[in-house]
Amino acid sequence: MSSIDRRDFLKLGLAATATAAVGIGMSRIPLPMTATSAEPEPDTIIPADEPAVIARGDHDQPSPHHWVMVIDQSKCVGCDLCLAACHAYNDTPPNISWSRVEEVEPTAEGRRVFRPTPCMHCEDAPCVEICPVGATYHRYDGLVMMDYERCIGCRYCQLSCPYGVRHFNWEAFTGPNPDVPAAGHPEVPRRPRGVVEKCSFCVQRIDRGLAIGLTPGFDPDATPACVVACTYGARLFGDLNDPDSPVSIALRQRPDAYRLKEELGTGPRVYYLPAEPALEESAS
Amino acid sequence: MTLIRRAATLIRHNALPALRQPIYRWMLFLMCLMAVGVGAALVVFIKGLGVTNLTDLVPWGLWISVDLSAIALAAGAFSISAIAYLLRRKELQPVARTAVYVGFVGYSIAMMMLLLDIGRPDRFWHGFVFWNIHSPLWEVTMCVGLYFSVLMLEVMPILGHWQPVEHRFPRLSHRLGSLHKLTPYLAFVGLCLSTLHQSSLGLTYGKLVARPIWYRPWPMAISFYLSAIVGGMALVTFISLVSARLTPRARVNKVTLDKLAYTVGWAVLFLLVLRWWDLMSMPVDYEPAKSEALYILTRGRLAFNFWGLEIVLGMVLPAVLLLVGHFRRIERVRILALALVAVGVVAYRWDTNLVGQLVVFGQVPGSDVPLFTNYTPSLIEILTATGVIAYGLLAVTFGVRYLNVIDHGEVVEAPAKASVPAAVVPSSYR
Repeated sequence: MSSIDRRDFLKLGLAATATAAVGIGMSRIPLPMTATSAEPEPDTIIPADEPAVIARGDHDQPSPHHWVMVIDQSKCVGCDLCLAACHAYNDTPPNISWSRVEEVEPTAEGRRVFRPTPCMHCEDAPCVEICPVGATYHRYDGLVMMDYERCIGCRYCQLSCPYGVRHFNWEAFTGPNPDVPAAGHPEVPRRPRGVVEKCSFCVQRIDRGLAIGLTPGFDPDATPACVVACTYGARLFGDLNDPDSPVSIALRQRPDAYRLKEELGTGPRVYYLPAEPALEESAS
Repeated sequence: MTLIRRAATLIRHNALPALRQPIYRWMLFLMCLMAVGVGAALVVFIKGLGVTNLTDLVPWGLWISVDLSAIALAAGAFSISAIAYLLRRKELQPVARTAVYVGFVGYSIAMMMLLLDIGRPDRFWHGFVFWNIHSPLWEVTMCVGLYFSVLMLEVMPILGHWQPVEHRFPRLSHRLGSLHKLTPYLAFVGLCLSTLHQSSLGLTYGKLVARPIWYRPWPMAISFYLSAIVGGMALVTFISLVSARLTPRARVNKVTLDKLAYTVGWAVLFLLVLRWWDLMSMPVDYEPAKSEALYILTRGRLAFNFWGLEIVLGMVLPAVLLLVGHFRRIERVRILALALVAVGVVAYRWDTNLVGQLVVFGQVPGSDVPLFTNYTPSLIEILTATGVIAYGLLAVTFGVRYLNVIDHGEVVEAPAKASVPAAVVPSSYR
């Protein structure tokens, strides 16, 4: 028996489990782990037909939050569950994935390594700087947002993005979304043909959660869907200003955390914990 | 029935004999291309950009190259106007008139192409309303919009001199003609706006930190600006000389055009030095994505375009042909050389646009090993681009034939004697 068979078996099993988890999540039945936190009241949940939060926010008041995603490559198995959750919650067409999972160089022992790549929500984002109409912009808390009503579809941001995480709607996406489970419905409206779209860190979940007193990163209902869906715990999310948030703890424990193309000075908000334990030792 | 019969006789007696003349055949041919282009454009508008071969990896393709080239080759309008009116070279004022018309056509080509290229053509006006002053593309949008208005004002007197307008609406014709008074001021405004957006078009690429081969803000801005001036002057001279050979309606001052061609010769030599310098300043050591892009440009897929069209045919050969008096004095050679300069500028725009996109950097397994992608325009893209270019050729043909845009025999004083038809003014050079 090779180890690949076992991994495939595990992947299938976990995929099934997590699909069920996504389904449950979308049907809004509180999970046991959310039972301790305040339960979302039905009327505070944003219905799908209302536009997602695109208020530009007040830049004069610094946000108390510094949202960050940490991706632990030693835990990621490349199962694409995060993508399934993303497709379902954000109603992305089958040919567009807001993040992608790539296989990268294996470890020294030959273990396979994967790298999920969502939008980096750069602090100094090239796309925000060059969008001719300001359709992509920094929200008050620094997240990079898209204004789908303003985008003219010039695709300049696609050229400017060093991470290639921006996707153009080449065709209209109509009909039911095969990635949305029958029991749930997406949280944001579908984007029209001819605009560029990208990962939003599920701001609708963050904002809704904050409004009802939840803590993004701890409470699944206030955390990006991909983070919630990852059954391996490879994705963490939270507020870097909060020393007890999962991301602060992870980055404290792992000084070898790195970001993609840091040398470009874009200041990505996504940190990676390398899969290679050797790196960890050399760094400590 | 009678209507159809009358139309049939009209075609038999008027249209068919007319088609024996090559000029009408040429115009009919262009109109057919335009009709096909309009059909293809409708397909694009209805079905969306999915019908193109553009992808998320190569989102800017043939259309962008066409409008970059059209804007570059339209630069003769501002440069020759600036020489004629700001440097007070009076003998170039009639040439500036030709240049302004060609520029107007060039910018309208670019605007049509852009309208097709954006995903939401219904929001074309967003750039003027929603400002992001940090974006070079916003700057280009504003300046192109404003400069197009300048060109319209400059073209108005030419339209005013159109025979039907002059005969039926003499007062309107006079009004339009009097706009000519503005020309020196418009030349100044045009110089400013063009300098801004021609260089910003280079900066559009040069600012992108994500694509190392482009990320040279100053060299990109300067070479876009200067190559546009050279290409634009070459195209205006080329069109004037070719038209003068084809029709007596185009009257040129050979001495002036020869001087202009000689200037283009020096300018293209300067451009060659600049381009060579730019190339030589690129790293010899391996630099991710930049080295691969350089490979594509100099030895890979774009090598023929680069060495053949850009360097040899676009710069070296025309420089030799235009600077060596022996060659330049042969008119055919001079015309060929000027056409080659324009071809070289088009090739430069095409290569520059593609070279950064063909290397996919960091989207690849293993991440930092660059991967190559490919792009070939789809039939729809080619048909629409051909249609738009056919419009440009038809507009220039119309201008030469009916608007007397090439009439360099007449020295226009500012303000012009508006109501005197240009054809009446005797040309001292024929």
